[in-house]
Amino acid sequence: MTASEGTTMATTDVDAEASRTRLTSGPTQRGRGRRRLSESRLGDYLFVLPAVAFIALLMLYPLFYNVKLSLYDVNLGNFLSGERPFVGLQNYVEAFGSSAFWHSLGTSLVYTGSSILLSFVLGYALALFFNRAFPGNGVMRAILLVTYVLPSVVSGTVWRWMLQGDSGIVNAVLLNLGIIDEPIFWLVHGDTAMISVVTSTVWVTSPFVMILLLAGLQSIPEGLYEAAKIDGASAVKRFWYVTMPAMRPVALTVLLLSFIFTFKTFDNIFVMTKGGPGDATTITPIYAYEKAFGFFEFSDGAVASTVLIAISVLMALVYFKLSQREEAA
Amino acid sequence: MARSRSRTRGQYLTMLLGILVLLLYLFPVFWMLSTSLKTRSDVFSIPPQLFPSPVVLGSYIESVLQSPPVLRALLNSLVIASGTLLLTLLLGAPAAYGLARLRLRFTVVITLVLLLAQMLPTINLALPLFVIFTEAGLVDTYLGLILANTALAMPFAVIILRPFFLSVPGELIDAARVDGCTPFGAFRRIALPLVMPGLVTVGALAFVTAWGEFVFGLTLATSEQMQPVSVALNRFIGQYGTRWADLMAVATTAALPVIAIFAGLQRFIVGGLTAGATKE
Repeated sequence: MTASEGTTMATTDVDAEASRTRLTSGPTQRGRGRRRLSESRLGDYLFVLPAVAFIALLMLYPLFYNVKLSLYDVNLGNFLSGERPFVGLQNYVEAFGSSAFWHSLGTSLVYTGSSILLSFVLGYALALFFNRAFPGNGVMRAILLVTYVLPSVVSGTVWRWMLQGDSGIVNAVLLNLGIIDEPIFWLVHGDTAMISVVTSTVWVTSPFVMILLLAGLQSIPEGLYEAAKIDGASAVKRFWYVTMPAMRPVALTVLLLSFIFTFKTFDNIFVMTKGGPGDATTITPIYAYEKAFGFFEFSDGAVASTVLIAISVLMALVYFKLSQREEAA
Repeated sequence: MARSRSRTRGQYLTMLLGILVLLLYLFPVFWMLSTSLKTRSDVFSIPPQLFPSPVVLGSYIESVLQSPPVLRALLNSLVIASGTLLLTLLLGAPAAYGLARLRLRFTVVITLVLLLAQMLPTINLALPLFVIFTEAGLVDTYLGLILANTALAMPFAVIILRPFFLSVPGELIDAARVDGCTPFGAFRRIALPLVMPGLVTVGALAFVTAWGEFVFGLTLATSEQMQPVSVALNRFIGQYGTRWADLMAVATTAALPVIAIFAGLQRFIVGGLTAGATKE
């Protein structure tokens, strides 16, 4: 995950409001001649054009190219010669028949599922805590986000070091506390490698989840709590009957977003385990990379990559649908 | 009186708990720094030393300052991140301005595409770009890496910047036009100076993102001379073996610009990261 992945939402109500007011900006403007106004509209399109052209060239075309690549047979042998036979859906048939491909999707699901659940629980706890008023609150919240902006290669390397079997600090602490009897070689065994990459992912994302949930918490009207208090509701009941229902739409959005952003993780796992040991942490993005850049089977990589696009777009559409409904409500 | 004082005490207790949470969270960052300042043998001492003693700068001198590959990688990252920052602002600022002034339906469609673009895995872009760039001769060049990174940063920049431009009164722009400004002149002289905070936010985020970017560096920079520091750091994991002090010194150096920018522009960056992420 990189810092830029943070942004997400479609145009907010505030935006829409502002542009509406601006478009009908008073009778004085409207009277001043239609021609000049439409002329400047054209100018406004010209401002957008370079960016749109750039996106089309470096984003939409590559994505289209990716799908095209998946329908041809492009590998190390013919990559440079340019002779690329069209094979239709054959690459897909092969991928869907291979256990390695399905294994990578399953691994992605396990990794993404456990990461977002733990990030969510931890992020929620942090949000509830930092929602209280105390000195230094704002600064602390901001500092927590350092985990999120740190280059993922840096955090991956540090976690790798901390999880070392013989001299890592994690084992030293656990041994000292008597939680384990002998050092665990975290990244050497499949199960513990998965636990390791999930842990570091949760460390990176939970402060970000916290910030998103915090905004939700702060939008709950104080009056609801006052009313519940007058009715004699305990703190636990207030959480259960006021906070939880009010947070439901926000929570759902955050979970969906975390899914989208965690599902596409690459750096973190690549740096910590390279998908290993064996294929224990080979999520689909790593599988696609290995196919294309490890074995130079570009078409096979493109197949996995296309499946990733399909899943990501599907989730993104669900997200947009959800946020639209929420805005309407 | 007594009541408010006890509340204050409660607040300070909460603050202490907050500091504890913070220390726990920042431990990996502290451990990186601490390890990088230890001697090679102290790294393995049992029980582990929390604070390095003696504090030595040897790892930084040997593995960063006197290591041409690391210096080269840092330079590469600097060039790539600065180029991405410039290109992102050059394309993103006019686009955000135009989108802020255009009709709503058009804007929604474009914004949706931009958001969608952000939700795709980077490898989905890296793989076709590698093939396309190979044919265009852009593999293993600064330009190729800057273009790829801008593709990631620009959608994000437009989404953050648009609300900034929306807050510029249309009357101001119209007045400038009446006074003889060209459309571009009005944008440059009136709108741009007014959205400076937005430009700083977007510039900082574009730089930070490109600085830490890994997948493009890994796939589009095929020679070691072109690799950014993120890829070089990963390469050293195997190369350095168990020289953890050296590795942590490189890691700390790679993190330094990001932490410095984050510390200096923290308010802008946190705002930018969450901009639009929540419904308001």
